[in-house]
Amino acid sequence: MSLALAPAVVVQRSTPMRDAIELVVHHPPSAAAVKPGQFFQLAVAAPQTILRRPYSAAWADPQGGRIGFIFNVVGAGSGWLAVRHEGHELDLLGPLGRGFSLEGERPVICMAGGLGVAVFPGVVQALVARKRRVTMLLGARTSSQLLPADRFTGADVLTATDDGSAGYHGSVVNLFTSTLRGRVGVEAVDILTCGPTPMLQALIENVRQLGLPLESIQVALETPMGCGVGTCLGCAIPRAGGGYLLSCIDGPCVRADRIDWGRMTDAFHG
Amino acid sequence: MADQVDLSVSLGRGLRLRSPVMVASGTFGYGFDAHGADRTALGAIVTKGTTPGAREGNAPTRIAETPSAMLNAIGLQNPGVDHVVRVYAPKWATWDVPVIVNVAGDAVDDYVAVARRLDGVAGIAGLELNISCPNVANGLQFGVDPRMAAQLTAGVRAVTRLPLLVKLTPNVTDIVAVGRAVEDAGADGVSAINTYLGMAIDIRRRRPVLSRGSGGLSGPAIKPLALHAVWELAAALRIPVVGVGGITTAADALEFLLAGAAAVQLGTVNYVRPQAVREIHDGIAAYIAAHDLRHLGALPIRQARVEAHV
Repeated sequence: MSLALAPAVVVQRSTPMRDAIELVVHHPPSAAAVKPGQFFQLAVAAPQTILRRPYSAAWADPQGGRIGFIFNVVGAGSGWLAVRHEGHELDLLGPLGRGFSLEGERPVICMAGGLGVAVFPGVVQALVARKRRVTMLLGARTSSQLLPADRFTGADVLTATDDGSAGYHGSVVNLFTSTLRGRVGVEAVDILTCGPTPMLQALIENVRQLGLPLESIQVALETPMGCGVGTCLGCAIPRAGGGYLLSCIDGPCVRADRIDWGRMTDAFHG
Repeated sequence: MADQVDLSVSLGRGLRLRSPVMVASGTFGYGFDAHGADRTALGAIVTKGTTPGAREGNAPTRIAETPSAMLNAIGLQNPGVDHVVRVYAPKWATWDVPVIVNVAGDAVDDYVAVARRLDGVAGIAGLELNISCPNVANGLQFGVDPRMAAQLTAGVRAVTRLPLLVKLTPNVTDIVAVGRAVEDAGADGVSAINTYLGMAIDIRRRRPVLSRGSGGLSGPAIKPLALHAVWELAAALRIPVVGVGGITTAADALEFLLAGAAAVQLGTVNYVRPQAVREIHDGIAAYIAAHDLRHLGALPIRQARVEAHV
């Protein structure tokens, strides 16, 4: 694993969709090393915070030495990050963890709920570069919270909103199911997904009902994390068959059949 | 000039460290995934708590951040002592930094079994008895009762020639009483302190954040509490006290050394700034040099009992 422990500089800050911030940082070694789905541990200096915050790279531009991070404000750490501006330094540790496996030739469905979309611009770009057919399913509460479709060049983009203000009126999982129903060859797709645990649960149930193998799904997990490098053992995920995976080193991108979804619900939902 | 300062320290029974900066149990694994940490600045590595058999640990959620601190309830996830002896120890034997194995269990027999298994194994420089883990059933019982703490220490002392530290819990009325008891039972030193019991509640879900309800609090928030415990213990004990609790900077470490600690352990900071080991080592050296103190033994504010461990 190549690790960068050096300041990166914020070169751009924007609002790519409502309630979200995108920071673009300049850090050539990280931009060259990161793979789609990997994350960085970002140091934050908000009062009374101590731990780094894990964020997936939204995309990377190795030639320009830049990485993008997309996030929303959920607490003190993200609140501090949200007020970083051009010229501010960021302390990145990474890239860390396992990204998505992009091998294969089958069509790919990418499915994002809410801020889970933050990992997908770079994933879709890498898939399209591999000449794979990509359908990007985006779910949000309302149209203004959808990342614009032009962030997914080369993919078919379908949207779902809870309030029906754009695209399919309903959940992105229902959009997924109705998209697949009756389609020839649905058993021969790969599914990459990231989103809230209830969305993942619904996806898993639907996939089982459709008779698709869980092996065809890869999930980018979002769990509380301590060190990010496998030392603190804080980011345990229930493993199918017993015991635990660590989100930081066995993931964050994990094949869905490796997870015990029943125990996952107990831990992170309800 | 700071390069010439002697930072070596003895923790008793032949355990000599080239630096007073150690890493605390559970914050450095078994020493193999030390990203960015500079081992040449380390006095010793203390491993994750190790039990007779492998343990899977607690269900998530296992950690939570609280103001200037974090809670953990990992539950002693570890591969078991046989794995440590077969796989890790041979590698440690080639390292130039001593490795101290933190020993944990549910009963006296567990601790004795682990200690016996580790005795005489190349690559293992010492033991630290974890009589203070708040995150497993019965984990705290040995640490809160001086008589039981002494019984456990004596039981382990009888089966090992290794240097023996005992890690004390602060979740007691009188930590000095427990310290004296383990000293009398044959401990070569004490590590003070382990985490404080604490909890956080998710008001949205209306349940504790941690799956076990409570966990151990660590980080800068507990530093003054740990420092007080070390100050009291250093005044009362003849054996070395290793200070641990919320140390983040060289200034923090120096406070512990001034309070009478023979060495310090870095814990939570390892998760955030792996380079802290080197920074704190160098900061201590610079302080010693700048104050013309020659060696660490000149640091403690109260000098009465420190001769024994310098």
